[in-house]
Amino acid sequence: MTSPGGGALAARGGATVKRMKWSLELSLGNSRNRGDRQSKDGDVMYPVGYSDKPVPDTSVQEADRNLVEKRCWDVALGPLKQIPMNLFIMYMSGNTISIFPIMMVCMMAWRPIQALMSMSATFKLLESSSQQWLQGLVYLIGNLLGSALAIYKCQSMGLLPTHSSDWLAFIEPPQRLEIMGGGMVM
Amino acid sequence: MAWLVVRLAISVSLLYAASAVFEDQVGKFDWRQQFIGKVRFALFDTHSQASKKLLVATDKNVFASLNSRTGDLFWRHVDKTGPEGHIDALLMYGQDAVVVVGNGRLLRSWETTVGGLKWETVLDTGSFQAAALVGVQDLVKYVAVLKKSAISLHDLSSGSQIWVENLPDSDSVQYQTIYSGGNGVVFVLGVVPNSHIVIVEYKIEDGEIMNKKSVEAVWMSSLESSCAVVSSGILLCVDQITQSLYTLPLQSAEQTEMRQIHLQMLDLEVVSGFRPVLTSTQPNPAQPPLSEFFLQLSPDHHILLQFIDGLIAPLRDFNPSYLAAFATSGERTVAAVMSPKNDTACSINLFSADTGRRHLDTTIIYHMDPNGGKPNRLYVHAFLKKDDSVGYRVMVQTEDLTLTFLQQPGRVVWMREEALADVVTMEMVDLPFTGTQAELEGEFGKKAAIQDGLLPMVLKRLSSQFILLQAWLAHLWKLFYDARKPHSSVKNDVTIDILSRDEFNLQKMMLMVTASGKLFGIDSKSGTILWKQYLENIQPNSVFKLIVQRTTAHFPHPPQCTLLIKNKDTGLGSLYVFNPIFGKKSQISVPALPRPVIQTLLLPVIDQDYAKVLLLIDDQYKVTAFPSTKNVLQQLQDTASSIFFYLVDSSQGKLSGFRLRKDLSTELIWEVVIPTEVQEIVAVKGKRANEHVHSQGRVMGDRSVLYKYLNPNLLAVITESTDTHQERSFVGIFLIDGVTGRIVHEAVQRKARGPVHFVHSENWVVYVYWNSKFRRNEFSVLELFEGAELYNSTVFSSLDRPYAPQVLQQSYIFPAPINTLEATLTEKGITSRHLLVGLPSGNILSLPKMFLDPRRPELVSEQSREENLIPYAPEMPIREEWFINYNQTVSRVRGIYTAPSGLESTCLVVAYGLDIYQTRVFPSKQFDVLKDDYDYILISSVLFGLFFATMISKRLAEVKLLNRAWR
Repeated sequence: MTSPGGGALAARGGATVKRMKWSLELSLGNSRNRGDRQSKDGDVMYPVGYSDKPVPDTSVQEADRNLVEKRCWDVALGPLKQIPMNLFIMYMSGNTISIFPIMMVCMMAWRPIQALMSMSATFKLLESSSQQWLQGLVYLIGNLLGSALAIYKCQSMGLLPTHSSDWLAFIEPPQRLEIMGGGMVM
Repeated sequence: MAWLVVRLAISVSLLYAASAVFEDQVGKFDWRQQFIGKVRFALFDTHSQASKKLLVATDKNVFASLNSRTGDLFWRHVDKTGPEGHIDALLMYGQDAVVVVGNGRLLRSWETTVGGLKWETVLDTGSFQAAALVGVQDLVKYVAVLKKSAISLHDLSSGSQIWVENLPDSDSVQYQTIYSGGNGVVFVLGVVPNSHIVIVEYKIEDGEIMNKKSVEAVWMSSLESSCAVVSSGILLCVDQITQSLYTLPLQSAEQTEMRQIHLQMLDLEVVSGFRPVLTSTQPNPAQPPLSEFFLQLSPDHHILLQFIDGLIAPLRDFNPSYLAAFATSGERTVAAVMSPKNDTACSINLFSADTGRRHLDTTIIYHMDPNGGKPNRLYVHAFLKKDDSVGYRVMVQTEDLTLTFLQQPGRVVWMREEALADVVTMEMVDLPFTGTQAELEGEFGKKAAIQDGLLPMVLKRLSSQFILLQAWLAHLWKLFYDARKPHSSVKNDVTIDILSRDEFNLQKMMLMVTASGKLFGIDSKSGTILWKQYLENIQPNSVFKLIVQRTTAHFPHPPQCTLLIKNKDTGLGSLYVFNPIFGKKSQISVPALPRPVIQTLLLPVIDQDYAKVLLLIDDQYKVTAFPSTKNVLQQLQDTASSIFFYLVDSSQGKLSGFRLRKDLSTELIWEVVIPTEVQEIVAVKGKRANEHVHSQGRVMGDRSVLYKYLNPNLLAVITESTDTHQERSFVGIFLIDGVTGRIVHEAVQRKARGPVHFVHSENWVVYVYWNSKFRRNEFSVLELFEGAELYNSTVFSSLDRPYAPQVLQQSYIFPAPINTLEATLTEKGITSRHLLVGLPSGNILSLPKMFLDPRRPELVSEQSREENLIPYAPEMPIREEWFINYNQTVSRVRGIYTAPSGLESTCLVVAYGLDIYQTRVFPSKQFDVLKDDYDYILISSVLFGLFFATMISKRLAEVKLLNRAWR
């Protein structure tokens, strides 16, 4: 177990520290201290807040703006890009009703719905873009297309109750208006 | 390839249609009872002292051997029905039983221990008169058979004919009896009515006529029952007009006149109008009969007489006495006489035949069933006890065909209800709830709630809960108590008081109406007879109709059934109203039926006591309502315009439809005439009233719907051609709307003839006929569809059906003749249907309706596969695993009754004929219950195991985590 901060606690006496039950060493340069993250650079000690990596320039530049736009378009076009893939999966899985096609259809249907439900989060993501509304619309259309595809798949698999036979079980027997009986003359 | 596909499809479809029982299910929910019918001849095997055999021959053409200790069948031979298998005579000597069958057509000898046939001889034609065993020098070697014009003698051990002789003057003389006293000659006695008696004497060795004489007897019309041979060949006759006994020694050549002995001289008198009966006994066929005989003077007066030296002396007078019979054991012959003791019991006593003295301590008390008939036959089995006294057992047959076997001092050893061999009609009624359940229901009824306040209701609730708890504890105690007893002794203690509806309503009350007029209430689970009721004065050819007017669902009103009995001769009907659970006659006043009833109609209209209204239509087409309270009449007036009925008169070939008017008169609204010169109406069937159809249509391969034509008023009328020539005969079927008389469909099957069996249900009719061209039985199925759209999905009115239905038909070859046909029935009609086919072999075949589907395609297509249609194959398979009664065959199955149970998957089936068989069928398997072999122990042990494993592993994981935390 490493101890936080500058000190390290050696609870168990190793072969080299047989002399005492425990010891506290304040010098960090000691190589005996196992798993010390800062010790790989040698014995040099840096002041607090010092980072040996150069700090990037965070001021917004024109090139970055383009990058943001591009990134946002990536997000917005994501659902649309998935459609060819989905089409391929649809084609491959066939129309038989078994566990794998059903799982695929469920995934295909669930993903756009999930995306549509978290629309606001996506909008927040796109906030920085200047074409926010257009991108949002494209994103929406992409997802709608995705769900339409899932519905089409359900339809072609026969999972949608669109036929009259699907409602057959709910038809009540008609009420009879006449009472009739009789038979052979006894 | 295509053939392979077809076969594959069939075998796949069979996979889930197979419905045989497993070996360990045998007898679990099914039972069979075997019957024999009304006993005509019964003989006890007196060959050995320990023998338990009782041989019987009955009017159902059954020859059987009963175990006289238990009443069970040792073996049974069921011959052809009708006169062809009629048993004319039964003789027994030693181990052999000789039977004459089919009006003297066959002579058979049976080995009585195992019931094997020893030999069979075909006799010459001629109507049978009498048969007798013939002995020579104390050995019985031959059997003589007397026909109308010939007598033949057969060897008893091989059946070969020794000789046959024509009888002299057989066109004028009626030869009726045969007698042999073991002295080398056979006497044949004939009579010319009101003229003289003819006695012909044949020599046994070669059939030579030794002697022939005629004796004047002007008073005599028939020899049977009024004459007997007693002592050493003395013919004794009795005549009620001259009130005399006549005697004639058969062998003496000189006496040419019968000696007259006036009954007055013996202080006897025959009751006027009663035909006196003489009964003698010949214990050994090789020896002359005894000189003692019974003379019956009136229905309840017998007298034991003795003939000595030409004189008749009375030994004992039995007045009153119902029945009397002789029995022999060893050298001793006894007479048993049944006399009335009081209103409900008779006493049977044993008397020594040669002295008429009563044997001490031989009384048997016979308790008459208050719901049964009077005794009419007495069979006595006498045996020698260890102390050389004579003991005896008796079998009593009553008018209602109950066989009771009694032993001293009146213990009923066994009882057989032979009326059940001829069940005419039956119904199944739900059992009531238990008393506690009923009490609960009664307490929280509407009336109680209004009368009582809040607090009494709470108290009542608590008390009834307490009663329920008590009942539950009692039930648990009983379970515990029964579990300790051996398994065999637990069952068969069903009584009417403990009967209650089970969880799934699988146990019901079977009401059976028999031809003899006896009603039975039978528990469907065990087959125990819970009550029986004999209705007296029922004509043998009466017509019965059983109607359930109120079921058990309307507590506290008792269930109510009505039996309409119509006398065929007078045409008058009578109603018998009773409680189907307890068999008690109901106190409800029954309408008088002054005019012949021709048909009944049960309406869904109920009176204030929840009884359905029964309409009785008389021969003037007037209607009587039962019950006919004001409430009912008011309701009838309101609904009269929608009540229709139809009548089919097959003698005139006329179908007519009537409508009810408000004043309960009727109005003819339609008539269909089917000319009787060409064809005759054989049968007509509507749909069963309690039938439910769950699905209104059928799903096609393209997932559209083909809607069924579910006309509740549709009638299927079957006709047969009057011309029976095989080239011109035909069977016709008409589907007629019973309200409007509109012929919805008609079909004709050419070169076919009956008997036609058919089932009409849902939107289909299945019928079976004989194809006389190809000489085979064929099934044909008609299905009616409305098409892709429903005309009116909310109400069905026959008066508003503008479009004719689409009709599909297909026929199949059935490789067996059939006796009867019925369809399964379930609670909601979700389960697929099966047809139950009763075969002459006694098996009941459960045939999936799926095989009888006119949409079965000749060529398999994608769509038909989607629909699970089996490709058309003309042959219908019969598979042994479809026999629902495995080896429990039902002899002469005449009808099958199906009833729904509380479980949708289960249908109760009763097949009746000579036997009764009850079982359950699961047409779509038991989809709503766990299987019998469901492994509760394994599954619960696995569950518990997993549970404990989880607990333990959780604990272990916790410990391990903690240890790791300490590391």
